[in-house]
Amino acid sequence: MFLLNSIIADPGRLDDLLSIAGSSLWPMMKGAITYTIPLSLISFVIGLVLAVFTALARLSSIKILNIIARIYVSVIRGTPLLVQLFIIFYGLPNLGLTISPVPSAIIGFSLSVGAYASEIIRAAIISIPKGQWEAGYSIGMNYGQTLRRIILPQAARVSVPPLSNSFIGLVKDTSLASLVLVSELFRQAQEITASNYEFLLLYTEAAAIYWVICTILSIVQGRVEVRLERYTAK
Amino acid sequence: MKKLLSILSLLIVSAIVLSACGNKDESKGNQSSKKEDELYNKVKKEGILKIGTEGTYAPFTFHDKSGNLTGFDVEIAEEVAKRLGVKPKFMETQWDGMFAGLDAKRFDMVANEVTIDKDREKKYDFSDPYIQSGRVLIVNKENKDIKKFEDLKGKKSAETLGSDHFKIAKSYGSDVQSVEGFAQAAELVNQKRVAAAVNDKISFLEYTKKHPNASLKVVAEADNPAKMGLQFRKGNDKLVEEVNKALKDMHKDGTYKKISNKWFGEDVSPK
Repeated sequence: MFLLNSIIADPGRLDDLLSIAGSSLWPMMKGAITYTIPLSLISFVIGLVLAVFTALARLSSIKILNIIARIYVSVIRGTPLLVQLFIIFYGLPNLGLTISPVPSAIIGFSLSVGAYASEIIRAAIISIPKGQWEAGYSIGMNYGQTLRRIILPQAARVSVPPLSNSFIGLVKDTSLASLVLVSELFRQAQEITASNYEFLLLYTEAAAIYWVICTILSIVQGRVEVRLERYTAK
Repeated sequence: MKKLLSILSLLIVSAIVLSACGNKDESKGNQSSKKEDELYNKVKKEGILKIGTEGTYAPFTFHDKSGNLTGFDVEIAEEVAKRLGVKPKFMETQWDGMFAGLDAKRFDMVANEVTIDKDREKKYDFSDPYIQSGRVLIVNKENKDIKKFEDLKGKKSAETLGSDHFKIAKSYGSDVQSVEGFAQAAELVNQKRVAAAVNDKISFLEYTKKHPNASLKVVAEADNPAKMGLQFRKGNDKLVEEVNKALKDMHKDGTYKKISNKWFGEDVSPK
């Protein structure tokens, strides 16, 4: 009744809100398409490559590689992403290294993904039974061949659900890029609210768009899992 | 996909519905005087005036060396609370968070050198203006292309999100990068990542006092100075009235002048 009254009392209000919701949808989607999604994809790919090397370094018997990998993972996991982004963007120029907003964000996000995902990949590699390594060696493969042809494909299957988690986390973390001048999805929402002060409406709209993106990613995750199933030794 | 879309629209519709409700609450306050007194009575009863502020905007609202919140706006707000017979409780957040906080009833008032402008007056109530300051165009000392506001066209500038400086820069066709506050804007001009920043004259002077090595200079000042007021949700006329009374008394008995002199070395009250 309360709501009905409010709309009757001020019918223009509802029209206003609908038109704000409508007109703000495109700028936010644009923020998502031009920044949120590309930032996530690029950072994730770079981060994943970094993660594979870090995981292998952690598993290798070469001591120095092992130590470097440990320090990297420890520093990145032990400090907030927001702080890392601020150091890269606002701090490094004091050392004479000025990086533009988008590359700064990509560096920050890739380093973050690299550290977290390396632990996932390391766990996945360890989870493949020793017998698989021995099988590889017994037919004359060396370390690299066994890793590439037998171990990694199986490890990939194991690591898909946790890596998808990382990716979905990354999509949402890109909202931090707004603090280093990248006008991604959430920044668009903030900028629109800054002039019309409709916080609830626009923040909900932004949340809804993030949610749709992440739901689509979950669907993709399901497909990938099915596809990788065929590599698994049963 | 279809299901997803329908849930999505449901979510947005419920936000619209809730927003519609939210405003209703306030607009009703405009009509009935009983509602008007409610917030004032609540503040009096609890003995606490909740004040939203940034805490990062010297010399208006910032933390001194020992970490205490202080500044011109903070002292004015403290004095207002004292005269209302209540305790001030400062709650610090970012500039755009302040407005959201006021909307969400987390604070009763915002004290943060908020410029009174037409757009804001549509949504909020303001006290009588309690400060007036120029708006200046700040560029890097090495910059030679920007000499007046018109030169901002197509140039990058850094402005606080939702500030009226943001609107000014945009109105001159600048490619505005939104930042969280003046400190970040100054840093970006310093690092030459943006060409300029429009900001408040007083806060610029304060910044250069604290950062004498900063490579910043003022090249122009806007004709119309900005007037700032304490900011309230609509529909709390009684509270605004009492605050205005307190501000007037402060002017009369010289308290205002004392605070103004302490922070700026001059009287900054609106002419």
